[in-house]
Amino acid sequence: MSNRRTFTDLLLWTVLAFVLGLVVCFSFLPLMGINPFTAAATMFGGVFADVYTMGNILVKMTPLILTGLAFAFTFKANLYNIGAQGQFYVGCTCAVSVSLALGGRMPGWIVMILAMLASVAGGAVIGFLIGYLKAKFNANEFLVSMMSTYVITYIMQLLLRTVLQESKHEYIKTNKLDKSVWLPKILPGTSVTLGIVISLAAAVIVWFILYKTTLGFRIRVTGQNMDAARLSGINPKKEFMTAFAISGAIAGLAGFVEVNGLQHMLLTGLDSDVGSYGIGIAIMASAHPIGVIFSSLLFGILQVGGTVLSHSTDAPASIIDLMLGFVMLFVLISFYFRRKVELARMKKKTAGEE
Amino acid sequence: MQNIINLLTRAIFMSTPLILGALGEVIAERTGMMMCAVEGIFLTGAWAGFAGCYLSGNMAVGFLAALICGMLVAMLYGFCTIYLTQHQIVMGTAVAILMTGFCTFFYRVVFGIPTSPLKIETLPVLKIPGLCRIPVIGQVLFSQNIITYITWLIVPVVFYVIYKTAAGLTIRSCGENPEAVEVAGINVRRIRFLAVMVGGCFGGVAGAYYSLCNVGMYNSEIISGRGWIAFGICFLGNWNPVGALLFGILFGISEAVGIYIKAVGGSGIPSELFSALPYMLVIVLTALRKQFNVPAKLGATYVKED
Repeated sequence: MSNRRTFTDLLLWTVLAFVLGLVVCFSFLPLMGINPFTAAATMFGGVFADVYTMGNILVKMTPLILTGLAFAFTFKANLYNIGAQGQFYVGCTCAVSVSLALGGRMPGWIVMILAMLASVAGGAVIGFLIGYLKAKFNANEFLVSMMSTYVITYIMQLLLRTVLQESKHEYIKTNKLDKSVWLPKILPGTSVTLGIVISLAAAVIVWFILYKTTLGFRIRVTGQNMDAARLSGINPKKEFMTAFAISGAIAGLAGFVEVNGLQHMLLTGLDSDVGSYGIGIAIMASAHPIGVIFSSLLFGILQVGGTVLSHSTDAPASIIDLMLGFVMLFVLISFYFRRKVELARMKKKTAGEE
Repeated sequence: MQNIINLLTRAIFMSTPLILGALGEVIAERTGMMMCAVEGIFLTGAWAGFAGCYLSGNMAVGFLAALICGMLVAMLYGFCTIYLTQHQIVMGTAVAILMTGFCTFFYRVVFGIPTSPLKIETLPVLKIPGLCRIPVIGQVLFSQNIITYITWLIVPVVFYVIYKTAAGLTIRSCGENPEAVEVAGINVRRIRFLAVMVGGCFGGVAGAYYSLCNVGMYNSEIISGRGWIAFGICFLGNWNPVGALLFGILFGISEAVGIYIKAVGGSGIPSELFSALPYMLVIVLTALRKQFNVPAKLGATYVKED
């Protein structure tokens, strides 16, 4: 019973926080001469107006689920992988390199599997390196992963400007991928590709690893009580490296689904927020892998809604960040009040039993 | 030779906001509060400084606006992390996303869509009479802007306050053993909140340095991770104001070298690698250092027993 109650609580508080966040954000719109009520109507009307736009929610969700999972996974080990953005870029670069080199020369699905493996491996290597620095040199993983993003971004820019640049050498981006290596679309009338299936599957697999395998158990124990873990024969340093490598692999996979699924090329500054949104998504879901799916849905709706809003009214595209920021803020605040209400209820219950 | 002098002058110039941001970070982190909102605070400072200066035509107003806005953001961060006991790193990310949207949105509200980028005159160089005539040192150290001089003056002040005063002892104790501070009748949460506020003021001014002193305009990429570098400098400088100064200068040099190489060109080494230099430096230096004097309760939320 208590489990169901906690879940209902979580849902109610999150919805409340969501609504409050939007209300505060929309209350700024009159400054731009936009009526907030019409804006809200335009936004939600627009998002659910046609199948194509609704499909876009799933498209936006696809990489976000993965970066959310990446943060959630290390969070369970009480580690902070703030560098999902960088691992995502490594995944993008690996996927695009493999796809460009082999696309059209081999059957598409073989190339796609290779590209997927490459992006996962690329992300995992970066993740492992961060975990290695943490384990061997006791480097602050938070700082190192944060900095790695900037280093990787610059290296990606360098590659895009040199070896990966498109044949005309005009723009800082790659050639378009061969059609045979595009992830197939799965819903007619939308841009939704097989990528969303990969993301959803990843969420289920991460849930399975974390809660149904000894590996996941070891990682969670390390996160909850490192001394207890050490006493029961778990080597925390090994778990740091494993957790970070898996986290990096998931973020790298996000690069594959984005490049082969949606963009079909790589350009600088691609999805430059996907990493930090992932952190927000993981936190809204209390780092639960299945919850990540639903909070990604929420972020997806807001992103698509913001795009609709900025196209049909004078509102700037920055409204998206403003909405996401306020919603995240209120969700975090709601955590505090939810906990408080829960504690009060527990107190009452124990008092009643006496 | 002149090239090297110019390079060093530039390095000192670029180190100022990093030192300032790191000093704010030192004060906050000594009380046990990681200021993960620092990137958002820098950005807000850059925005507020630009808006204040552009609208009033006065540099001082710009810096004051940046200071106040930086403080307000820090207060929001402090309120949620200290009083509502939310997670510091997570809250920092939320603040960063929120302020990115907020600054871009309000730039649009205030300035509309300008046909050409709005520019202001950058803060002029203030040569210190007499001292500026000393060869080499005169140009490198004493031909800077006023914010740089103020920053140098703040370093010993922060050092003195943290290590030599009763207030400093309280600040450090909040980070090492908050329970003991509470027993002594001091409100730990208030101390932490105040420290975060002060840190926010420093961060706001540091952010404004980029828009008002460095480029004379505002865009959303103006900070691009410099806040996090200041955060890293605080770590590398061992939570010590003097350490913050030294590492601030080191990162100033690495930034100046990058700018110099890009301007000169022809070195054969791609400019992107130089842009990535400061970030790589943080990674290498954090990995190399064996011993850190981390405040014991850094990042841990203090929950008062009742």
